[in-house]
Amino acid sequence: MSEAVRNWREDLKVFRERTGGLTESKKAMTKEQRDVTKAIQEALKGGPRTVPEIAAQTGIPSHKVFWYMIALKKYGKVAEAGQAGDYYQYAWKEATS
Amino acid sequence: MAKIKQRYDGVVIGAGIAGMQASLDLAGQGFDVLLVERQPSIGGIMVGLNKVFPTLDCSSCICTPRMAEVAHHERITLLTYTELDKIERHNGAFRVSLTKKPRYVVEEDCIGCGKCELACQPLAPHEFDYGLGARAAIYIPHGNAIPQLPVLDPDYCIFDGNCARVCPTNCIDFTQQPEPVEVEAGVIILTTGLKTTPMDAKKEYGGGKYLNVMNPLAMERIQSSNGPYGHILRPSDGKIPKSIAYVQCAGSRDKSIGVPYCSRVCCMYALKHGVMIKHELHDAEVTIYYMDIRAFGKGYEQFYRRALAEGVRCVKAKVARITEADNHDLVLRVELIDEGGRVADIRHDLVVLSQGLIPGWKPDGTVPVELDSDGFLKVRDLAVRSAYSSTDGIFVAGVATGPKDIPDAIVEAGAAAMEAAMYLDRMGWRAEAEPVGAGA
Repeated sequence: MSEAVRNWREDLKVFRERTGGLTESKKAMTKEQRDVTKAIQEALKGGPRTVPEIAAQTGIPSHKVFWYMIALKKYGKVAEAGQAGDYYQYAWKEATS
Repeated sequence: MAKIKQRYDGVVIGAGIAGMQASLDLAGQGFDVLLVERQPSIGGIMVGLNKVFPTLDCSSCICTPRMAEVAHHERITLLTYTELDKIERHNGAFRVSLTKKPRYVVEEDCIGCGKCELACQPLAPHEFDYGLGARAAIYIPHGNAIPQLPVLDPDYCIFDGNCARVCPTNCIDFTQQPEPVEVEAGVIILTTGLKTTPMDAKKEYGGGKYLNVMNPLAMERIQSSNGPYGHILRPSDGKIPKSIAYVQCAGSRDKSIGVPYCSRVCCMYALKHGVMIKHELHDAEVTIYYMDIRAFGKGYEQFYRRALAEGVRCVKAKVARITEADNHDLVLRVELIDEGGRVADIRHDLVVLSQGLIPGWKPDGTVPVELDSDGFLKVRDLAVRSAYSSTDGIFVAGVATGPKDIPDAIVEAGAAAMEAAMYLDRMGWRAEAEPVGAGA
């Protein structure tokens, strides 16, 4: 183990300044991620859906829905829930109330 | 960070399969080796592949034991996430200047638990999956990564401190900066690997523009059991593709983009993909549009026949252009050679461009070696000195010297290690000895 004592809260402030802070593009990225995730969660309240179904329901392009779906699946938020034709269906794993 | 000594017998640049093999073979002869890798994990491209041809053995199952052996070898020091700045002659040997990039993680304190990644909210395209999947801003590169250490990407960090808050060993270090490293070595082995031609090199094929026109390495990730999707799906909408096309020589044997040579592996990986797709998607059609199939290695011709027997279609044709239809399907305009040159428009769900292999790195004056006319590192004499670069003491192996398959890269790596060992013996260099002028 290293013997250095780290105060990460203070270090984080310096790091934030040094790397350009919370830029407008990062704010936009964060907002998009929050909005798309929320839209997918809302769409899945009615039960398992395919990517094209969610895209049609939310107006979000299907490739973007799919990318987020794969990310949410990787981090345990959604799971595959069967198949409908040529598409997998996905279901939200967390409580949706 | 691993304790770095001032002197090594050999420094190997690039920790793909060739670099790992060269390191093991040199260290196995009793020499101290520093293995340098610019990515946060060793393993190179091979650890991300699905299977190897023609045996269809699991690629990572072959690669990861070597990765572990490298990491645990007492005579190999591993330096990941490190850029090569310069190699120059020094006291009859070489001075190697490197820059260790900040992971923002104290390597000796991190236990690789991954809690930081799970607590981190921003999502970024995952490089290991060619952007098809996501990763957090702080992430362990992949499940087989060595070392199993996260790296923080400042470009996606939103400074919420969640990673540090959940870290059980307080190993997140936001104060880290790029760190210069300088060592001396008796020999250098360059195993700097490959990249594929840019997706948009052939504008008429729509790579980088159409969602379902894919890079072959990305297709490897899709087919891998630890890939981003877990199934073979297409990126535009997650559809299970029913009709998949491979466009051969989409970046090789093509003077118009400066790649006149054959990339040597594309025919075989396309056939391998075809077989693997047929194994998973039994009713899918796989069509390989080719100029001529080059199945030249041991067992390759038999594999070609096997692919045909398993239903992979090989169509002698030249693809003129690709356009996108509705629903992101793709229409290939092809000239069918075996039908008298008839031109047809053929629709597919997904298209893979068999892109050419080009050098993964160029010295650009940082290392005193010459390039060949094809842009790869020049070999002194292909017949009898294939591991020698243009400079004494600098050896080369793998795709750094030209396109080749994995078995050839491994053989070359062994040859480079042997030549390097003989060179070290000839010059009497041992890292454990005092440097010239020491104590003066």
